[in-house]
Amino acid sequence: MIRSALKISLPILFGFVPLGIAFGLLFQELGYPWYFASLMGIFVYAGAAQFMAIGLLSSGIGLLEIAISTFFLNSRHMFYGLAFLESFGNWNLRKLYLIFGLTDETYALMTTIKVPKNFTKERYYFFITLFAQIYWVLGCTIGALTANALSFNTNGMEFAATALFVVLLIEQWIKVKRLLPFIIAFIASFIALFFFIKHMLLVAIILSIGSIVLLRVIKTKSNE
Amino acid sequence: MNEINYLLAVMLVMTVSTYITRLTPFLLFGKGQESALLNYISKSTPPMVMTILVIYMLKEVEYLTFEIVYTFIALLVTTGLHIYKRNALLSIVSGTIVYMFFVQT
Repeated sequence: MIRSALKISLPILFGFVPLGIAFGLLFQELGYPWYFASLMGIFVYAGAAQFMAIGLLSSGIGLLEIAISTFFLNSRHMFYGLAFLESFGNWNLRKLYLIFGLTDETYALMTTIKVPKNFTKERYYFFITLFAQIYWVLGCTIGALTANALSFNTNGMEFAATALFVVLLIEQWIKVKRLLPFIIAFIASFIALFFFIKHMLLVAIILSIGSIVLLRVIKTKSNE
Repeated sequence: MNEINYLLAVMLVMTVSTYITRLTPFLLFGKGQESALLNYISKSTPPMVMTILVIYMLKEVEYLTFEIVYTFIALLVTTGLHIYKRNALLSIVSGTIVYMFFVQT
């Protein structure tokens, strides 16, 4: 099971390590000891929020502001758990960790893959989540440690995250085979981009979910 | 407050804040409480989130520049390879290498 989970989690490696390195490099400019970059990856474990933290830390902003901006930046994650209410299993430490590790990438991967029949879902998910976080912490650490000595040109490596989502989008298409969710999300994204570019992700998700719920309610009403 | 303590406090606040966002649905909707509507939402959300994430990642691309051309080529490589071979690693690595080649030359 561990080998299978490791193999299936590898696409995240290519998304997380370059992004983590970028974070580590930037974080080092604040002048803290290198291992704080790793600690951020271990405890905060949220890509966008960690990048935001660099800016906030350098401005010495208050804790309440940081709490609120982190909350809003990550509030899209509130919708991610809905897919796993059942499959994260009973309340125990493992479930708490699975919830802790529910990032864009793990959500995307775990909603797309099929868990092999002979494996318990929550255990399989646990290894994927654990490996993903290891990749992230590894990236943050490498970035921080090599901040002054990096000779390899990593420019453009950030495309790996885009490519990962594109691959998962194709996989979703193969799995779902209904055009409607994609079209709704596409339109919602552009509305969000034009009117709420700062909160594009959250607005687009709320608009999309709102629209499918509305369509569903109208459909059941008209069937009655 | 000295600097390290400030950083530690920020980390703590961010950790708790992030965790709350991820924990909320599990607290609101316990196991076995799934309604047909909730089920429908959780089934339709992944394709929508994936679409949104891809557009989000591409939103910084400057249009009417060379960037949009090589971004398109890299996307084409990833998409084409993935439809052809369905090997996630191969599709991601190839697209990224093509993209890096254009960015760095």
